[in-house]
Amino acid sequence: MRLEAKLALFNALSKLLLVLLGALVIPPVVSRVAVSHTDQRLHEKKQEVLSLIARDGLAAFVRQEQDEAYADYNILKQEYITLTPEQGPAVALPEEKVFDEQRQVDKQVEDFRILSYRFLAQGRPYRLEIGSSLATVELLEDTLRRLALWVLIIGALLTIATDAAFARFLLRPLGELITRKLRNVRHPSAFPFAPIPTSTTDFRRLDDSLNEMMRQIQSAFEKEREFMSNVSHELLTPVSILQSRFENMLQDPELSHAHSLKIVDSQKTLYRLRNTVRTLLLIANIENEQYLREDTVSLSAVLAEVINELDDRLAQRELHLRVQLEPDYVLTRGNHTLLFTLLFNLVSNAIKYNRWGGNITVTGQPLPGHGYRLAVADTGPGIAPENLPHLFDRFRRFQAAGAAAPEGYGLGLPIALTIATFHEATLTATSEVSKGTTFVLEFGAGQQSAAAS
Amino acid sequence: MHVLIVEDEKSLHEEMRQFLIQSQYIVDSAFSFADASEKVFVNSYDFVLLDLGLPDGDGLTLLREARQNDQQEASFIILTARGDLDDRIKGLDLGADDYLPKPFSLLELQSRMQAITRRKFGLKRQEVAFGQGFQMDVTGRVLRHGEQEVPLTKKEFDLLHYLVLHKNRVLTRLQLGEHLWGNVLEDDSDSNYIDVHIKNIRKKLTPFAPADFLETVRGIGYRVAE
Repeated sequence: MRLEAKLALFNALSKLLLVLLGALVIPPVVSRVAVSHTDQRLHEKKQEVLSLIARDGLAAFVRQEQDEAYADYNILKQEYITLTPEQGPAVALPEEKVFDEQRQVDKQVEDFRILSYRFLAQGRPYRLEIGSSLATVELLEDTLRRLALWVLIIGALLTIATDAAFARFLLRPLGELITRKLRNVRHPSAFPFAPIPTSTTDFRRLDDSLNEMMRQIQSAFEKEREFMSNVSHELLTPVSILQSRFENMLQDPELSHAHSLKIVDSQKTLYRLRNTVRTLLLIANIENEQYLREDTVSLSAVLAEVINELDDRLAQRELHLRVQLEPDYVLTRGNHTLLFTLLFNLVSNAIKYNRWGGNITVTGQPLPGHGYRLAVADTGPGIAPENLPHLFDRFRRFQAAGAAAPEGYGLGLPIALTIATFHEATLTATSEVSKGTTFVLEFGAGQQSAAAS
Repeated sequence: MHVLIVEDEKSLHEEMRQFLIQSQYIVDSAFSFADASEKVFVNSYDFVLLDLGLPDGDGLTLLREARQNDQQEASFIILTARGDLDDRIKGLDLGADDYLPKPFSLLELQSRMQAITRRKFGLKRQEVAFGQGFQMDVTGRVLRHGEQEVPLTKKEFDLLHYLVLHKNRVLTRLQLGEHLWGNVLEDDSDSNYIDVHIKNIRKKLTPFAPADFLETVRGIGYRVAE
């Protein structure tokens, strides 16, 4: 998952949690606030009423003789005030209580928040009740709750959006760095050195370090290339001298037969040395990207060339070759010469390591989805399971299974593997002793997995 | 045929010289860029065998200069041990006639020179006679005996042609194999294939005339004797 997506996800989750927490915490808080707000208003009203009584006297409110209670309501019955003379002993006055209770007002029963104040006036206890309808309190509570939730939700959404936008803006250099300098770079020689514009120090440092490392790698590649060129010159020139000399010596009519044989043998040794050097150079050159991928190559066409080149060997060993490419596979960015060498090595191995009159089967079919699979199967002696993992190691030869087994699994397969890798293909082998070996080339499979991930 | 060898490596130079003189070429020598440059402009050669890695200059420069001079009609064959792949393309672009990476076989060099000569003089029908009445049409790639065609496969023809080209020389199986499969790197010298080819060639020639001119030299290789 990309960093930006992770940040956005975390951001959204944390905001969601915040909103949930708000929904849980806000109602009790709001109701407390509303109640205390109501209580305070009741107190204020009580003070007002008391100050009115002090100014106008109790008589304005209560007709003492008739012992009647005074009551006052507002029209919508949201509030009421009563002042009632009380009977009984006047103990522990004044006394104040705030509570919720039902009261009947004009034949309607409603819940009220009531402040009840008992006090002593002119030697008589009175009770002052100021009520505020709970419906009003709930209304207030509800309004407050809604408001708080909306503010919370809108705030959360707004910050999610701005956070995501900012993260995106902030991470853009990193994304560019990844596409331009990592994902699009198949080989160090294709690395773009242009700095990625960013004001973030960390990214600047990352970009600079990448550039610096790549410069070192490129210089190492350059040195290797020079080294290879020099080695190639220094090794191949003496080989060239000896080869020419042996050729001339063999033409000498004075040369004894015994010496001729020795020279032929030396020629063979020299040939081996030469091929080893050439193979190493070939592998180094391929790995150093000295070959171009500019050809459009049809596998069946290359295979036909290979078979044309090898048909005499097939005939001499009386091998039966079956080729079935259905359909053909065309590489758009390939190197014809290298692919020829690759298929030549596979088919020539299948000839070398086959029994007399055996079979070679070359089959090609598309891989599910994307890519292509080419298999070259022989009916040779096979390869022991313990040797299979080392099949593509350079310069490793196996103890030949029999005296007749030819030498030379040594270099053909490492070359084949290097060429396969150059074309982003994989080369694997499966084998069953005394049944045969199958080499499998898979083109384009790497791209598929890259696309899937 | 007048050949200039441009090669600073003395031993290799000497071997090439010896071989070419034996093959009836007139050989001139240059060991440095300056020397070669002068000789190329003063004398007229049929062939210039050009090493690219000269101590005092790049062989490709010499080739470029020579190609700008209309008087110079020599065929250039580039010989190099430099591992640089561009050299081949550059060389051929500059008008080299052929390119042989070192190490090369002197026999291969000679057969390339003959191929260039054939191309240059537009020889439509170059016939080589050998054995008792065999005629080899090199350009048409056909072997005849009298009016009859001897059916040879491509590889068999190549093999016989190479032997006939180097008449009276013993060619080892290695040299023959390299000629047949030269462009492919192989790490074994399985020479059985050559023996089978020779056996088949003899079998195909015998109905027309004795094939005893195609000699086996025990332990070494084969030879076409005059």
